[in-house]
Amino acid sequence: MTEQRIATSKVAGSWAWFFQRLSAVLLVVLLTVHIYMDHYAEVGADITVGWVHERLGQVLYIAVDYAMLAMVIFHGLNGSRTILFDFDVFVKRKKLVDIGLWILGIATMVWGIFVLLPFIEG
Amino acid sequence: MNIGKFKWLFGKNSEFWPTNMKTGMWAWVGHRLTGIILVVYVFMHLSFLSTASVNDKSFANLMETTAQPAFVFADFLLVCAVIYHAMNGFRVILFDMGIGIRKQKLVFWIMMAISAVIVAVAFYVLFNEGLFKGEWF
Repeated sequence: MTEQRIATSKVAGSWAWFFQRLSAVLLVVLLTVHIYMDHYAEVGADITVGWVHERLGQVLYIAVDYAMLAMVIFHGLNGSRTILFDFDVFVKRKKLVDIGLWILGIATMVWGIFVLLPFIEG
Repeated sequence: MNIGKFKWLFGKNSEFWPTNMKTGMWAWVGHRLTGIILVVYVFMHLSFLSTASVNDKSFANLMETTAQPAFVFADFLLVCAVIYHAMNGFRVILFDMGIGIRKQKLVFWIMMAISAVIVAVAFYVLFNEGLFKGEWF
């Protein structure tokens, strides 16, 4: 059983493994800033569309927000993939799962880009 | 569906039965559970923001709703999940680099001690300065 699991995780690929770690480290930094700036720094203050719009006037904020979104989608979906295969779910349909997750991920990214646009445009 | 197929997942002989799980296994299960919760939350986060970005009023409504005590408490639980996931994630990365793997239990409890401090700070800020504004009673 154990040997089989080790073999399975090898097939999952070192590419996915490496980017899961890289996105993890970057997300710890970016999410700390995001959660602090958006939820803690001015806790209790009146948050309005104007306030969000003003912040997003800085290109750095937009870049960080979109970078964070891309990494969170990758990390979350790749993590879900790991969980599925750990529990031997769809292991025989790996290619199909990968294609499905890429489509879901790209669709979510496009959706996320459009969600933020009205706040940027104001 | 054959229920018997899931015997390895449930039941007293399962490696997931609470009394059969040791520190490392709890850490692993916790990492998976918080991971799933956070993935679900990201989709909720996007969906709430997409309805709020329609106009100023719907954004104000969302802000008013999320300032309610139940939402602040849920927010706090979410932060706890993020902190646990991040700290145990650090532990996993350390092991990947070959650091501390023979002292994995100790590393787990060190990470949990750091988590507890961050959780306490988050609790204080969210509830004292946010929800209760210094007036708890």
